[in-house]
Amino acid sequence: MTEGTISATFDVYRHDPAKGDRPRYQRYTLKLSPHTPVLTALLQIRAEVDPSLALRYSCRSAICGSCAMQINSKSRLACETHIGPEIEQHGRIVVEPMRNQPVLRDLVVDQASFWKNYHRIEPFLKLDPAHPMPEGRPTSMTPEEVERFKETPRCIACASCYSACPAVEADPGFPGPMALAKLYRYVVDPRDRAHQDRLVRVQADGLWMCLRCHLCTDSCPKDVRPSERIRDLKEMAIAVQGATEHGSRHAVGFKDNLRDRGVLNESRLVRQTYGTLGMAGQLVQGLHVLRKKPEVMRKPHPIEGVDQIEKIYEALDRPSEDGA
Amino acid sequence: MRIAYYPGCVAQESGKELDLATRWVARALGIELVEFPSFSCCGSGFVDEANEVLNVAINARNLAIAEKAGLDLLTICSTCQGMLTLANLRYPDPAVRPRVEAALRPLGIEYRGSVKVKHLLRVLIEDVGLDALRAKVRRPLAGLKVGAFYGCHLLRPTDEMGWEDGEEPHAFEDLLEVLGASPVYYRGRVMCCGFPIQFVKSDVASGIAGRQILDAKSHGAEAMATPCPLCHISLDAYQNRAEKKVGAPLGMPIFHLPQVVGLALGATPEELGLARHLVPTEPVLAKVPPAAVH
Repeated sequence: MTEGTISATFDVYRHDPAKGDRPRYQRYTLKLSPHTPVLTALLQIRAEVDPSLALRYSCRSAICGSCAMQINSKSRLACETHIGPEIEQHGRIVVEPMRNQPVLRDLVVDQASFWKNYHRIEPFLKLDPAHPMPEGRPTSMTPEEVERFKETPRCIACASCYSACPAVEADPGFPGPMALAKLYRYVVDPRDRAHQDRLVRVQADGLWMCLRCHLCTDSCPKDVRPSERIRDLKEMAIAVQGATEHGSRHAVGFKDNLRDRGVLNESRLVRQTYGTLGMAGQLVQGLHVLRKKPEVMRKPHPIEGVDQIEKIYEALDRPSEDGA
Repeated sequence: MRIAYYPGCVAQESGKELDLATRWVARALGIELVEFPSFSCCGSGFVDEANEVLNVAINARNLAIAEKAGLDLLTICSTCQGMLTLANLRYPDPAVRPRVEAALRPLGIEYRGSVKVKHLLRVLIEDVGLDALRAKVRRPLAGLKVGAFYGCHLLRPTDEMGWEDGEEPHAFEDLLEVLGASPVYYRGRVMCCGFPIQFVKSDVASGIAGRQILDAKSHGAEAMATPCPLCHISLDAYQNRAEKKVGAPLGMPIFHLPQVVGLALGATPEELGLARHLVPTEPVLAKVPPAAVH
């Protein structure tokens, strides 16, 4: 073996649904520098071993977001994932297409649902004529206003988050982490006149389906932190509209629940979320759990110093003036 | 070691068996649990969604209680671990700290930010140590195939929770091996249990729980174990719903972390509150020989 190279085994997902064949994994073994990006290795396989391998890529510099795929089960950019650490940790490199999108061929997925969800949030400015126009430039913002976008402008729409998201997997009605992170960016944009409409719409359209598992934040190659922006949207939506959905009623109900005892009163929380009538739908499950866990119906003892909790709520549980 | 014991709400009520097992394991390992009846709920991720600064404040109060006693803080719930860690991380933010301090100061509470928040899993591995634990095993788990189920907030965001790889952890599996079990690796072990949306769309939540249990099962798991009582609710107390949703019988016993540890250290099922589970654990217990008498 050439000095400084390692023997790298790739098990690459191969599937052509148009041919009606079954998915399979094809093994390729190459001698490469451990610093080689997975994308470079795949391109070498295509150039030298198997020209039929289909993959999507463009810039090779982690800018275009085209080459996202699953590398040893993690949704990552192939162009910036080096083979050395993967081989060291896993002994081989399993390369698969992104999840949550149908495979067109091999590593290429149909991104239609990803883009459709992105367009659902209306990813364009709806200019507010009332926004001040310093120096006559209608789109100017102060550095502080730009800061409010936080990390979202870094997003390159690679769909790694969409691939990693268990809420997308479980419910096609969930817009996905990237769409919601982008929505946040328009909601806090001072030039946009549709802040409130956007929040009202998203509250009823999937916002509360986020599981806050943070897999999106872990998988994002640009540290956009979608799960944290989704949290921000939830708080802003409640501030603008109040709790209108089961999800927001549960969050607000939970918050109010702690206030008088300092600990959770489980049975009261069910009533707060579903309402007295809605509790009937939970009755069967309630009785099922009650058999072994009678405490679910019991009011817990207040904590010592529960008056402090009340004082903290009095000081901080007021929506801020800008609704954020 | 002495550590402030933060049981969290569920372990004090419907998940009492977790508290019971934790106390047993702590006694067996010489960990002194210092109790504070003034600890409040951590907000469970829901208060954070409704009001982030309020959530930091109630947890800064919890952390201040431990700090005043000069103790670090032990959690036994992935979500408590996540929320208290998050409070430590958000507290220094100039947009947060002044508001939190202004709320706490009139109550005579000051938090300097010095408390380390540690989940039991981490304490077992880093403070007790796997070798010391191995020496105390009285009832090796006989190669029982156990699928660890971590609970999101213990792991992620990885850069903030600052411990294990959020998508490929191994701490729990390392621990299971020391206890004599055979850890089962499956994708679902780091996934969501469905609990956060149990109140939003319960059928979707149950589908998510069912998917993870099926995944563990298809990889050979005979039981699962979790360091999070909220995951336990989703996987055990609501397993009947998950079965309906995935259209398959699951019958998967779900252990709390200290229950599997306690079992291997020689505790009886009664001492660990195993009869309180909705999915019976007896079929699994029957596979593990009784504790050797020393």
